[in-house]
Amino acid sequence: MEIYLSIDDTDNLESCGTGELASQISENIQQQGWGECSYITRHQLFIHPDIPYTSHNSSMCFHAQIEDSALGQVINYASDFLARVSAVGSDPGLCVALPAKLCCVPELIDFGQQAKRIVLTKAQAYELAVRSGVHLSQHGGTGQGVIGAIAGIGLRMGGEDGRLKGKIAFDTDPSDNGIAVTKVLDHPWVAAVQTEQGQLLQGDERICLVDKVKIVQVKKQPVLLVQRNEQGGWQNLTRQQLKKY
Amino acid sequence: MWQAMDDQTRLFSFGREAYGMAAQAARACSVFLADEEDEWAADEERSCYNCRYRRWTQESFVCMASQVTDEI
Repeated sequence: MEIYLSIDDTDNLESCGTGELASQISENIQQQGWGECSYITRHQLFIHPDIPYTSHNSSMCFHAQIEDSALGQVINYASDFLARVSAVGSDPGLCVALPAKLCCVPELIDFGQQAKRIVLTKAQAYELAVRSGVHLSQHGGTGQGVIGAIAGIGLRMGGEDGRLKGKIAFDTDPSDNGIAVTKVLDHPWVAAVQTEQGQLLQGDERICLVDKVKIVQVKKQPVLLVQRNEQGGWQNLTRQQLKKY
Repeated sequence: MWQAMDDQTRLFSFGREAYGMAAQAARACSVFLADEEDEWAADEERSCYNCRYRRWTQESFVCMASQVTDEI
């Protein structure tokens, strides 16, 4: 079966981040033979004085294909893991959604988008969880992380938000850091190379890779965004340019 | 560059897009600690925008280093 798993608010100033914990959950699902996990996306949520967060208020989400019989084990494992490993003072939340059994997906997506713009409450998060049929649970502190956890599911399923966790190393030409688009598309985490305006690059076109290469989610696909550089060629957008994702 | 806050933290005075100033502040800082790379916001690695001790606000960020070290 297909699932989305999202976590939020697991860290403090001195602990490892929520992204690292999402990676560990994903790796363990695979090590246990429960299923295969895809890339993790990071979703920026609203920054506001009324929202408690450690430093950046982002949630992490991944998609997985798991054995039907493993669902309970995955939820129990992730719940225990968050309760055990989340940092002192954090308020961890976990959300697991089964797309095939979800009700009101548009509301989930809308909740995710709202979580980027306004202050939401735990009551709203749990109310939506009941209506939509997702698993939502808290594992320490105030449990405030349930809001970001369910929002992460909505934003991932909406397909127009988030950067992929980690960076991808490509085998570029050392003389100019160039690479053919077709080689970039060989990577399983890149479905398209395009501009922010939606212009798709063709496989035989060449791009120059600068800085760390970050992939973002556009139209439910992992995409490498590019722009024209001063020489008239193509290059990837920089980290600063990708902040809004 | 900084505005002192009541809780001993300090607010960066130049907002969220002052990449040069944020890099300059980080170069002068003895406790800069790079955050996980997925949370970096600036292209230049040593920048307060990429520091583990920054806490974003709507307009800027607060340096929380005083909460975890006496060196600041």
